[in-house]
Amino acid sequence: MKRLFTALGICALTLALPLGVLAAEVKIGVMCPLTGKWASEGQDMQKIVSLLADEANSQGTLGGNTVKLVVEDDAGDPRTAALAAQKLVSSGVVAVIGTYGSAVTEASQNIIAEADVVQIATGSTSIRLTEKGLPLFFRTCPRDDSQGVSVASQIQKMGAKKIAVLHDNSSYAKGLAEEARDVLKKQGVELVFFDALTPGERDYTAILTKLKATGADLVFYSGYYPEMGMLLRQRAQMNWNVLMLGGDATNHPDLVQIAGAEAAKGFYFVSPPMPQDLDSEAARAFLAAFKTKYGGEPSSVWAVVAGDAFKALAASIAGGNTEPEAIAEGLRQLRDLPGLTGNLGFDRKGDRVGAFYRTYVVDAQGRFILQP
Amino acid sequence: MEEFLQQLLNGLAVGGIYALVALGYTMVYGVLKLINFAHGDLFTIGAYLGMTLLVSSRLAGSLPPVLVLLAVFFMVALLVALVGCLLERAAYRPLRKASRLSAVVSALGASIFFQNAIMLIYGARLYVYPEDWRPDFTVDILGFTVPGVRLLVIVASLVLMLALHAFIQRTRIGAAVRAVAIDQGAARLMGINVDRIISLVFLIGPGLGGAAGLMVGIYYGQIDFTMGWSYGLKAFTAAILGGIGNIPGAMLGGLLLGVIEALSSAYVSMAWKDAIAFLVLILILIIRPTGLLGERVADKL
Repeated sequence: MKRLFTALGICALTLALPLGVLAAEVKIGVMCPLTGKWASEGQDMQKIVSLLADEANSQGTLGGNTVKLVVEDDAGDPRTAALAAQKLVSSGVVAVIGTYGSAVTEASQNIIAEADVVQIATGSTSIRLTEKGLPLFFRTCPRDDSQGVSVASQIQKMGAKKIAVLHDNSSYAKGLAEEARDVLKKQGVELVFFDALTPGERDYTAILTKLKATGADLVFYSGYYPEMGMLLRQRAQMNWNVLMLGGDATNHPDLVQIAGAEAAKGFYFVSPPMPQDLDSEAARAFLAAFKTKYGGEPSSVWAVVAGDAFKALAASIAGGNTEPEAIAEGLRQLRDLPGLTGNLGFDRKGDRVGAFYRTYVVDAQGRFILQP
Repeated sequence: MEEFLQQLLNGLAVGGIYALVALGYTMVYGVLKLINFAHGDLFTIGAYLGMTLLVSSRLAGSLPPVLVLLAVFFMVALLVALVGCLLERAAYRPLRKASRLSAVVSALGASIFFQNAIMLIYGARLYVYPEDWRPDFTVDILGFTVPGVRLLVIVASLVLMLALHAFIQRTRIGAAVRAVAIDQGAARLMGINVDRIISLVFLIGPGLGGAAGLMVGIYYGQIDFTMGWSYGLKAFTAAILGGIGNIPGAMLGGLLLGVIEALSSAYVSMAWKDAIAFLVLILILIIRPTGLLGERVADKL
């Protein structure tokens, strides 16, 4: 085995020598679930990153360097991810993009960190990933606790004075409701109501009647679309014109069907942008290129953030950084780099800074319209 | 005060549906001493059949909507009644002589069978009734804005309950049902065809349950294959509250449960409303172990 590696190593060296003379080649690992339950996101991640890498290489935007991608499948499974991470670090990559799913990323984190390789996680929102103090770890997706901040700022923007917050006692919805409540309290907004409804029921008129009596001018519901649809519909039947705001679990086409287009009109929800709504110049160019090469659009925004990871890496490499520590330093110094899902930048912990969540409003035809 | 009346009305509409479903539990219990756990799923079948019929009759579109609605209403009640009758033949009649526990297990099995059958046929995602079948008009009564359908639900359930009550109390067949409920052996000696009466009970109960399913579909618009579970549980509670085996008791229990839920979520806490409803049930059962209108549990219908 050892001899095989030595032989391979010599081969690699002899192959690499002539290339090294032409330009510095930087190896970047891509770890993504090409198989398993998240295969569609994973395959999109691979497509997106390789599209951007080809573009960067052919346009020579990397400050005289070229990148070479090494793709490993983690199957959306922590054990496979650990193996994939081992393979990537032993293949000599300076940075790894990925992966999707917090538990899967966590399994690869220490392996990559111990090899002193930069990691930029993509669809991994669990808070603790960046609380470990790993200096070479970054992510281009928001943390679980950042949606509450976006919700609170949207509420401020809508000019509501008396807020009612409603959740469904699920750990996700309750967490989001509490985060939004805490941020709102700090901002001094008047909270007139905070309680849970029972999900899966049909009749929420008792709750709505109670909410109406509190005099709230905005109701925020952090739960899922079936209940939101019923709330919207029954609110319309009561002829109560109150602003309604939802979290990203209400972003579902069935919502309008349940509520009826009339009742859903004017409903706001905070959600990650849908790929077709990415509106920056960089994003439009990217979507057009993606369409020409693969046909169609990326299925999920959580795959598009892998493209952001590449953009950030490319910017750092273009600044002349080709070694892991230098690349990480370059990443930390990025400010407002135009990415695919918005401007990119990282804080001290490696978390993405800047707004990621967007606000949508339902129009009279029941379409979800992105708010500027 | 205005909020109180509004909440009362909210509770009555929910309670009306509980009461309709509770009638099915209480009738079967009165006659067979069997708790038909599959009843909630018959209710779901009603909701799904109603949607299927409405979607396909919209294609026909030759009749005025009101007539289509009435036709669908009777078709759903009839179809679900037939399903109920088949259920009795397949799952309960072979066990008539066995212990009551076997029949209860059979009922639970039937419930699981129906729920999974609906899921396999229609799929697990939730369904939405076609929007043009959801009449969204409102009525103003004494300064309250009340959705018209809400009134229709209350009125329709009251009419159905009163019709059933009159049928059981005033007609010869109704007298036979009461006789079978009191003593099957003696009823047989009096020349009553007990099997046929039991089949009749399994036509009426599921028929009402199916109609309630259709009403829920039209009123709330959203149906899923597990909805029978929560409505079934609530209706069963309502039947116990009013005194199981007793038809006016099921109506009273259903309406009361709806009102208790609405008022406790309005004045105590929404998250605690189910707990409060069951607390009231326990208190009533401590004071009156046979339920509000139940006398001697085993003998009443």
